[in-house]
Amino acid sequence: MQFRNLGSWLILGATLTFLIGPFIIIIFAGASAGNSLAFPPEGLSLKWYLKVFTVESFRASFVLSMGLAIFGTLAALVLGVPAAYALNRYKLPGDEMIRTIVAAPIIVPGIIVGLALLRYLVVPLNFTVTVALFFAHTALILPYAVRVVSSSLNNLRSDMEEAAVLLGCSRVQAFFKVVLPNIRGGVLSAFILGFVTSFNQVPVSLFLSGPGVRTLPIDMLSYMEITYDPSVAALSALLAFMSVAIVFAAERLLGFSRYV
Amino acid sequence: MLALPAAVFACLLFLVPVMILLSEAFRMDGSWSLQGYVDFFAKPLNRTVFLRTLKLGVLVAGTAAIIGYAAAFCIVNLPARTRGGVFGLVVLPLMISPVARTYAWIVILGRTGIVNNAIVGLGLSDTPVRLLFTETAVFLGLLQLFLPLMIISLVSAMENIPRDAIPAARVLGASWVQVFFRIILPLTKEGLVVGGTLVFTGALTAYITPAILGGSKVLMLETLLYQRVNVANDFVSASVIAMILIVMSFSANLVLKRLASART
Repeated sequence: MQFRNLGSWLILGATLTFLIGPFIIIIFAGASAGNSLAFPPEGLSLKWYLKVFTVESFRASFVLSMGLAIFGTLAALVLGVPAAYALNRYKLPGDEMIRTIVAAPIIVPGIIVGLALLRYLVVPLNFTVTVALFFAHTALILPYAVRVVSSSLNNLRSDMEEAAVLLGCSRVQAFFKVVLPNIRGGVLSAFILGFVTSFNQVPVSLFLSGPGVRTLPIDMLSYMEITYDPSVAALSALLAFMSVAIVFAAERLLGFSRYV
Repeated sequence: MLALPAAVFACLLFLVPVMILLSEAFRMDGSWSLQGYVDFFAKPLNRTVFLRTLKLGVLVAGTAAIIGYAAAFCIVNLPARTRGGVFGLVVLPLMISPVARTYAWIVILGRTGIVNNAIVGLGLSDTPVRLLFTETAVFLGLLQLFLPLMIISLVSAMENIPRDAIPAARVLGASWVQVFFRIILPLTKEGLVVGGTLVFTGALTAYITPAILGGSKVLMLETLLYQRVNVANDFVSASVIAMILIVMSFSANLVLKRLASART
């Protein structure tokens, strides 16, 4: 028995080293005092972590990525919450069809979505790249929004809102006064999942970038093609901390993992 | 009514453009034809890239399944207190930008990376070995990226195995190999189908990993698509690749489902 325990810790240890180890390495590689990317780093310093904040293109692309992640997710929720509610509570004609359509963006590879939007929205219809990016990110988050909100609606019995309607609420009032407060956790979890997904998204944004319009991950990709210094490692480490902190806080406050 | 805005949005801004893109390879000079596909597969480079993508997808999914079963089995048997923590560490990488996750491999496999420092330091080679821009690098990157999805799927499948099934089989004289093939595998095959589809599809459609770790030396379908469009404005090839990616993703799911229902 003792031996089996040792064996399973070895397996878990190896797996976790493979999964987590690279981040530890990247944190240290970013903290190098030298000028080239190396591990072990040539002395420790925070200069690359500080330099990241002074790179103009990183600042601009960070703002764009933040904006896309926040407003794209909000738009996806505005579309997704009513859709999830309708699909969950009413027997709709063609609801399977609607489910499939709404879930489609998850199945189609992102690079194709980006290319399709560039070819048929941006070029012929004169959409700006930023608007196309916003649409693409909204479409991409929509399936997550619908799924997460649906699963929290599943746990909410429908007799509560029936009672509210019997007591004189309109359907809309019942939704805002009874349903929405009860699925708050699910909606917030959907927001966080959508935010993280959108912020880290690359393939969709690949073709949708113009002069001065680049999401942060795309900007990092093109930066590392030109420069081989530790600043991308430092930035990667900072972004990793940000994502982990957001998800960790969400788990503590909302029990995020129940919904996802 | 309530579901309509979402459906209309997804249709107009998503399905319609994608459909037009997919139809592009079937239209040559105004008439319908398969010439775009014939031309695509006539080029040796395209065939190589197609087969490489398929091979790496299968390899990554297969390796993830093997590691996934071992890891999931250990996780399920952990005491409840440590289990949540370990599971959290497995899920954690999924929250982190794939750019960051892939970039770490440059630090590990690069010319002045850990592995090369070790090789040169130990005197195994005088000059750094080229490890980046190889299929191995892409394989490792993809495996690290998608392994958590397999472990998660298998853990939730294994949690549904009745607690006594495995000890009972052991007491009745089954070897661990028999336990795996007669009990664990049949009872977790749905998790394997989900995990396998996620990992295989993920590996097929990953862009960042082959772009950073493979470059133009180890092209995969996604990086080839990007190159065809950006370098040559070749939208027919892009459309063909898009169709191949979608068909491969769907068939992977169908084949795995079929396999799962075949051996009961």
